[in-house]
Formats: sequence, structure tokens, C-alpha cells
Amino acid sequence: MKLPAFIRLTVRNIVVNVDIGTLTFLLGLPALYFYVLGMMFQGTINTITLNGVKTSYISFLAPGIMAMQTLTAGNIGGSLLWSDRRWGMFEQLMVGPFRRSDYLFGIISIAIIFSIGGSAIVLGFAFSTGTAHFTITWLSALYLVAGLVLASILFTSVFLSLAVVVKTMQAYNTVTIILFFMLDFASNAFVPITPAVPAVLREMAAYNPLSAAVTIVRDSLIYGINSNTHIQMLLLALLSAVLFGVSVILYRRVRTGS
Amino acid sequence: MENLDNYAIFVKDLVKTYDGKTNAVDHLTFNVKKGEIYGLLGKNGAGKSTSIKILTTLIPPTSGKAYVMNYDVKRYASTIRKIIGVVQQDEAFDFTTVEGNFKIYKMLWQIPREEAKSRMEMLMDLFNLTEIRKMRLFELSGGQKKRVQVARELMHDMDVLFLDEPTVGMDPIMRRKVLDYIKKRAEEGLTVLFTTQILEEADYLCHRIGIMDKGKIVAEGSAAFLKERFGEIRKIEIKFDKKQDPENLSEIERYISGIPDVRSSTVNEDGITLLSKYIGRVLSELIVKLNSMGIRVNSVVSDNPSLDDVFMEVVSS
Repeated sequence: MKLPAFIRLTVRNIVVNVDIGTLTFLLGLPALYFYVLGMMFQGTINTITLNGVKTSYISFLAPGIMAMQTLTAGNIGGSLLWSDRRWGMFEQLMVGPFRRSDYLFGIISIAIIFSIGGSAIVLGFAFSTGTAHFTITWLSALYLVAGLVLASILFTSVFLSLAVVVKTMQAYNTVTIILFFMLDFASNAFVPITPAVPAVLREMAAYNPLSAAVTIVRDSLIYGINSNTHIQMLLLALLSAVLFGVSVILYRRVRTGS
Repeated sequence: MENLDNYAIFVKDLVKTYDGKTNAVDHLTFNVKKGEIYGLLGKNGAGKSTSIKILTTLIPPTSGKAYVMNYDVKRYASTIRKIIGVVQQDEAFDFTTVEGNFKIYKMLWQIPREEAKSRMEMLMDLFNLTEIRKMRLFELSGGQKKRVQVARELMHDMDVLFLDEPTVGMDPIMRRKVLDYIKKRAEEGLTVLFTTQILEEADYLCHRIGIMDKGKIVAEGSAAFLKERFGEIRKIEIKFDKKQDPENLSEIERYISGIPDVRSSTVNEDGITLLSKYIGRVLSELIVKLNSMGIRVNSVVSDNPSLDDVFMEVVSS
């Protein structure tokens, strides 16, 4: 049976990314975040009350780290395009039995797989340590996966665009570090956004797409699906569509053979 | 309209311009018969790689016609990519092991498991990769990486193989092995378009050779034909009896540049090498000049031209 081209490329992307460094980054880091950050802050922030629901800090934190997996996975997608261009594999694949769209879908697919896989590991870690308590239904699981998929597409689009635009790995890394810092910390991933947060940061967190992803994951696991979940999902979908469109336009401009 | 069925590659009036002014490929016309090994020779920037990139559908032509196995490169790019193999001039590999690169290719090209295994072992053995099969690509030397790049491409079935300077960095023994294997595959029906800067390779491997200059083919034929065609050209090597100082060498260079029948020449402190059709006249003029300068000649040797000489003659004229 012949596998569709984009699936073959997805498998190839997984194979070339399954090395110790990437796995540590992808899987070990969120577990460390969860363990170190969770345990350290648990002592200070014992419980968090949001939407009238009281949760432990670790339960609050886990969805934030799960949503952050979409950012990490998006970066892996962008890095893959950058290194394939740098090391000649993009051109090599483009003279093989593939279309440009196959390559693009291969990258989006690996980002989705890695973000869902990474989130599952965080979730499993949270459950296994007995420190977090979630209520999952079929509907909330569906929202959870949809939110992760949309956020993966969104952040992969961002990093793909970056991989097209920047010329050097140093520039790529610098922008990535800044993006990670801003998106991670100016969001509701680690702490709730309350009126005590400075107005500028509050605004940034409100418009941060990671916050939308975190809200969807948190609602799916803790607070239940509500009208705000739908709004965040819609916003995430719209922004994903726009950024994906932009990344496709930029990606089409990637020249081969010059 | 010519019958394209006879050709694996058919190129007519092909033009590629990047800036709208200079043609990297300039009304290029040539064809390659099925099962033929065709060599494209030329200086850097002659347009060889650009031509290959058009034929392998990496870049579109500005105008003209190009067909691979009867498929128009502009309209049937994805069909062409399924029936060709390409070894690019630049490095192209995945950051995994040597064996990993082969396995990825097996999966990408959907080669049946048993067939892939036997091919991989055969190619690993042929290209001396068995000992380094567990090494990662970034640990390898340039020549080793090139061997992986070529061997990996030969894993899958294809009708036409494009090789853009495939032996760069390889030692002479490995180079000969690669060329012999390509010859063998061509005998089995594979068509090969081959570019190289090493002209002995083209002489050894190619059924026909096209010499490219400034985006077009300026001479074409078998190596034997080209040598015969440009065979009137003779190579003369004059050795001085002692090393000459730079002033004398400059004067000799100036003098030779004034002889209209000299195609190309090199002058150094030990002697002169030049190409000319009119060996007798050029030689007598030169000997007289050297005598007048008080330079004694130790030996004069005239030889048939090599493919290198033909190339120099064609490109310089």
C-alpha cells in the first residue's frame, strides 16, 4: 500500500528529529517545568481560585505547560524547514516524488503529533504524581485536542514564516528566544491574569495566542467548557487561519535551485 | 515536431535569465538518447547546473522547451520527479546515521523491504560505507558524505539520473568505482546526464559530451569525435635549458600573445606550453625569438590533444 506523500514526509520528519537532544527538549523540559516550577510555587501559591473553582497550583500549571507544547512543536517545525534549506534536503526532497504542499503538511503534521504527544506526557506525569486533579469527558477531550491542534498550526505558521525570512541560524535562534520569552511569560500559562498584573502585561496576555490555547486546555481539564472557551477557540481558529495563510505565502516564495 | 520518443532528454532553445538581462542558459539545445550517458562540460558559471535544475524541475525556464522522458518540465514537474534521480552538486543529507539516510530514502521512495535491504547492502559495500554505517553524517569527511549522497540516490528505480559533479572529494579508486557502476546501470538502460570538471571522467564515462560556454553548447560529440574534430590543434611543450627570470617570461608572454595562431599558452620559468593549429610556423617563429633573447631550448615536444586541450580550445575560442 502506498502511503500518501505527506505522511511519508511526516515519518521522515519524526525520524530525523528523534534524537536525544530534541526528545529532551520536547519531553524532558515540560516535565522539568512541571516538577520544578510546580513544586517550587506550590509552597507559595497553595491554591488558585478562578471562575469560582479552587485548584492546586500544580493542577493550574499543568494545562499551561501542555499548551506551551504547541509553541515548542511549532519551533521544531520552523527549525526543520530552516535546517532542510540550509543542508540541502529541501531541494533534494523537491526533486523527489513530492510537492511543496506535501512538505508543508509534513511539517504541520509533525508539529501536531509532537504537541499532542508532549501534552499527553505532561498529563500523564500530572496524573501519575497524583498532584493534579482533572475531570475529562469526551467533549472536553475533543475541545482539548482541537485547541492543541489549532495552536500547533498557529505557532508552526509563525516559526515557518520566521524560517523563511531569516538568513542565519543565529537570527532564527535570537528571535525564537525572544518569542518564547514573551509568549510564555506574558500569558496565563504560569499565573492567572488578575487586576493586580500591570495593565500593559494584562493587555499583552489578553492578545497572546498562547493564552487562548491555555484557556481552552484549562477549561477542558478543570473549569469545564463555557462560552469563553468557544470565544477563545474561535479567536484561535481565526488567527491560525490568518497566520497559516501568511506562512503559505512566504513559503511559496522559498526559492529552490538558486 | 521531432519524435520525442527516442529521447530521454530533449532540450530546444532553452533560456533561463535571473535578472532579465543575462542569460544563465542561452538558447540551449541538446538531446540525450535513452540509455545514453551524456556529459555536460563547462567552466564554472557556464550554465551546467542551471540546466540540470531546470530539467529536474527545481527552477522554471524563462523560455524554450525541455522534456524529460517525453514530459514537459513546465507542465509535468511532479510526474518527472517520480522517474528521475538527482545527485546535486551541493551537500544534501539528513542529520542521522549513514544507514538512517538509506532507510529514510527507502521509506520516502516506498521501496519494498527486501529489495531495499539487498540494495542498501550492495551499495554500502560498493561505496565502502559498511564500516561507517552507524556514523552520523556530520561526522564524515566531504568525500564520505558525497559517497552517501550518490549511493543513497541509487537506492530507488529511475529512468533518468542527473549527476551534478558527483565525484567531488572522492579518491581516484572510489571515483573509478562510481563511474564503473554508473556505466553498468547505463548498460541496463538507465539514462545519465552527468556534469564534471574532471575531463578524464567524461572521457571515460560518457557516450557523448556537450561543451557548454556562456549558457550554450559550443561543441558536441563523442570524446573521440571532439579530439578528432579539434585534432588539428597540437600541443607544444618547449623546455628551457635553465630557469628564466620574470622579465624574460613577460617578454615571451607578450610575444606569444602577438602570434595570431596561438590558441592558448602558459609560460613559466621552465618552459612554454601552447596550443596551435600551425605548429611548424609558430614553433619556428618562437625559436627565432628565443634565440634572439639568448634563451636556449632544451627540448620541444608536440603531442595530440587530450580532452582537456579540446575543452581549452573550444572554450577559449
